[in-house]
Amino acid sequence: MDTRPEQPSSDGVQGGDAIDSTRRQVSRRRFLSLAAGGGALGAGMAALGPSAWLKVWDAAGAEADARAKKSTAKAALGSSTGRTLVLCTLYGGNDGLNTVVPYENAAYAANRGSLAIDPKTVLPLGDGYGLHPSMPKFQGLFKDSKLAIVQGVGFADPNYSHFESMDIWQTAIPSDPSGTGWLGRWLDATHSSPLRAINIGPVVPTVLVGDRIQAASIAPGPIVLPGSADEQSLYRSLAVTSASMPTLHMQAAASCGDLLEVDHVLGPILNRPSSSNANATAASAASLAIANGGGQSSAGDVLATQLSVVANLILADAPSEVYSVQLGGFDTHADQLATQQDLLSELDSSVSAFLDSISTTSRGRDTVVLIYTEFGRRISANASAGTDHGWANVAFVAGHRVKGGFYGDAPSLTNLSEGNVIYTTDFRSLYATVLDQVIGVTPSAFLEGKFPQMSFI
Amino acid sequence: MALDLTTSLAQLFRRLAFGATSSELESAARAGYAATAASLIGGLTQPDPGADAVALPSFTPPPDDLAAIRSDPAARRQLEVQLAEERVELMSWWIARMVGSTNPAREKLTLLLHAHFPTGISKVRYALYMYGQNQIFRTQGAGDFAALTQAVSTDPAMLIWLDAASDKASDPNENFARELMERFTMGIGTYTQADVRAAAYCFTGWRFSAHTGQFSIAAINHSDVPQTFLGQTGITAGSQVIDLVTQSEASYRFIPSSFWSLLAYPTTTSSQVVADLAPGYAANRNMAQLLQAIVTHPDFVSTTTGNGLIKQPVEYVVGTLRALNIPATALGTTSLRQLVNALAEMGQVPFDPPSVGGWGQNTYWLSTAAALVRWRFANKLAGGADISLVADSAPSARVEATGQLLSIPTWSSTTASKLRRAPDPATMVALALVAPEHVSN
Repeated sequence: MDTRPEQPSSDGVQGGDAIDSTRRQVSRRRFLSLAAGGGALGAGMAALGPSAWLKVWDAAGAEADARAKKSTAKAALGSSTGRTLVLCTLYGGNDGLNTVVPYENAAYAANRGSLAIDPKTVLPLGDGYGLHPSMPKFQGLFKDSKLAIVQGVGFADPNYSHFESMDIWQTAIPSDPSGTGWLGRWLDATHSSPLRAINIGPVVPTVLVGDRIQAASIAPGPIVLPGSADEQSLYRSLAVTSASMPTLHMQAAASCGDLLEVDHVLGPILNRPSSSNANATAASAASLAIANGGGQSSAGDVLATQLSVVANLILADAPSEVYSVQLGGFDTHADQLATQQDLLSELDSSVSAFLDSISTTSRGRDTVVLIYTEFGRRISANASAGTDHGWANVAFVAGHRVKGGFYGDAPSLTNLSEGNVIYTTDFRSLYATVLDQVIGVTPSAFLEGKFPQMSFI
Repeated sequence: MALDLTTSLAQLFRRLAFGATSSELESAARAGYAATAASLIGGLTQPDPGADAVALPSFTPPPDDLAAIRSDPAARRQLEVQLAEERVELMSWWIARMVGSTNPAREKLTLLLHAHFPTGISKVRYALYMYGQNQIFRTQGAGDFAALTQAVSTDPAMLIWLDAASDKASDPNENFARELMERFTMGIGTYTQADVRAAAYCFTGWRFSAHTGQFSIAAINHSDVPQTFLGQTGITAGSQVIDLVTQSEASYRFIPSSFWSLLAYPTTTSSQVVADLAPGYAANRNMAQLLQAIVTHPDFVSTTTGNGLIKQPVEYVVGTLRALNIPATALGTTSLRQLVNALAEMGQVPFDPPSVGGWGQNTYWLSTAAALVRWRFANKLAGGADISLVADSAPSARVEATGQLLSIPTWSSTTASKLRRAPDPATMVALALVAPEHVSN
């Protein structure tokens, strides 16, 4: 089954002579189907895209729509496996060799010199590997068989660029990493709602951007719409896309329409006061400020805060199947030891606390966390006590029902290319496994090609 | 399709400045498009009394006894508090400058150059150094891009941000060498990994004085092994590398492409507009002339450009404050901090880009989280600002007056019909501020 959306021909793109940026084409493509007529998307209300919903909403009036929406939301958003995916993206290129340390391999110590983790301090995992000393909770998860470590993950012909490498990871199309995200294509295929995937933070990463649907995003903190009832009602009517709009106007309007859907479905959960709720800022206080989350930079929100938002949504059985969180700062060209220690410690404590907090519901126990970064780092240390951009790396998959252990072949530390370890496992095998086992769809519909699945779920 | 004069002038002020007032638009219409463009470009090297009226906070250099402070938890905490305070003062100061500017093209170019050379206080830490870089953009941004790149590269903020300042002669780190070529001057695919290695050796030993910020090259840490870089042999100096990358054919396409993408609509180095702009830019790499060539290019004065960009969060916030005639002097410490927080939740904090990749292109903040903050901002502003231009108009003329207030010559019939239903002027303005016409640039 090929559920990928149709790509418009280049001569179908308005102004294509002047607008040759692939990114621009992506944003243009995103709404092409709606421009062609939302009614073609599907028969029932539940099958319509979010903006199409809003058109109906506008016509029928808010009251009627709120009722209709309530009754259809669950059906439209229902997950087919009952499982939930949490994508955790580490920006900057985490040094995998100092994360899952091959401490018994002489080539490791020889190349890393003073940057090598002291074998006496690594947290042993067996097979000659040990975790960075700041990751005791991950060691516990591994021992409990709740942590899969996938070795040698990467792709062919890497070029050391942060941005192109991350685009490759997020689009899953190494030959042309300028289009939609691999989960954006899944969102498109659902023909339903941006709420099926939620990013924590204001900027939705490429991975969750499709041609027609972009994942919803929320900031930590309650959702308090401003304005009088009149203003909210008119805002709703302005948040309607139409085929006659320029593409960027459509996208601007769609972000407003999608916000109303977020407010409607997630507001009651996010605004519920509770001692364990990171969003428990009083709604009345929040309404006095412009910023929603009380001033914390959303891009800089610590991972623990982002994951506590996700935990609350999962525990409340929110109708989303995919969440996205992020942690940056891994680009350790200089003075790597202290920086990476702090970051891995944050990863270790926040992911383990997250898994603990969601262990009380079956939805939580069926949640799978996938942790990845754009590339590994060079095996030899540089003279700035850091490491430069490299190739293959490790990825983590964590969860109560994950089958822990080592997966993928560990790359050789002596058979190098340009001083880099060479990948043994195509990164899309991770995605194929997750698409099939967590999201419950046919992987080849969203990945260009078939990739062997792994058995970590 | 070409734009009518009023529409093209409104667009010119949005892209090259932070929008126009209706009286500015009226006098611009009398002067004509070419003269208005020339006047805005001329401002790039002129003083800015409005922005300079904003008091400059005092920013402190790293303390001399930094090592002692680091080992003393109380002193360390005190330093952290001070740096956090200076960070928000720095951000507030620049926002107030942009709002109060009477020569806004210069502040706008400063913002565009910050987006081009994204450098973050999260790693640089000292507001003093970020301020120093910001001043380089402001005072040297309109001139030769090669000289600008030399200045930015040898300034403390960039030396810290991309680790050049910690380089040693052997096994240099590649951070600055790679991003210089990939992000700042040439673009990916125009150099090899061997070029990155070669350049990294040339930047070894680069240093600055923590106290004065003065750049120097530590001979003992500088590699004098001649390198082959971009096909040229015998290269040892970092300044030679910067000359070669900024004066390369690749850069003569990359820089016009980058600034066309920031001012008109996203494009690539292989596009026709870039082919049109490249020869003029190659002649002297003069940024004022490049901007002039961009805004007077036929494709710039077209509906494609008109529908080509979304305002970036800073442009949206600053442009809205200016449209509503809120003077910089009316922005107190608290409201400026609220604006910094709002910008954080919209996804663009000045002086704090997420990485050397900078902020995303164009539509990156059209998310639901940012939409909420956008609306809250609009509601708050419309409720407090002087909107007498709208309020004093006859009810039937208010939609048009709102367009006048925001320099939006025409509303779509859809937007106009919704605005007309607003029960009061403040609600009308709040809705106009979140309408696609105003969110667009």
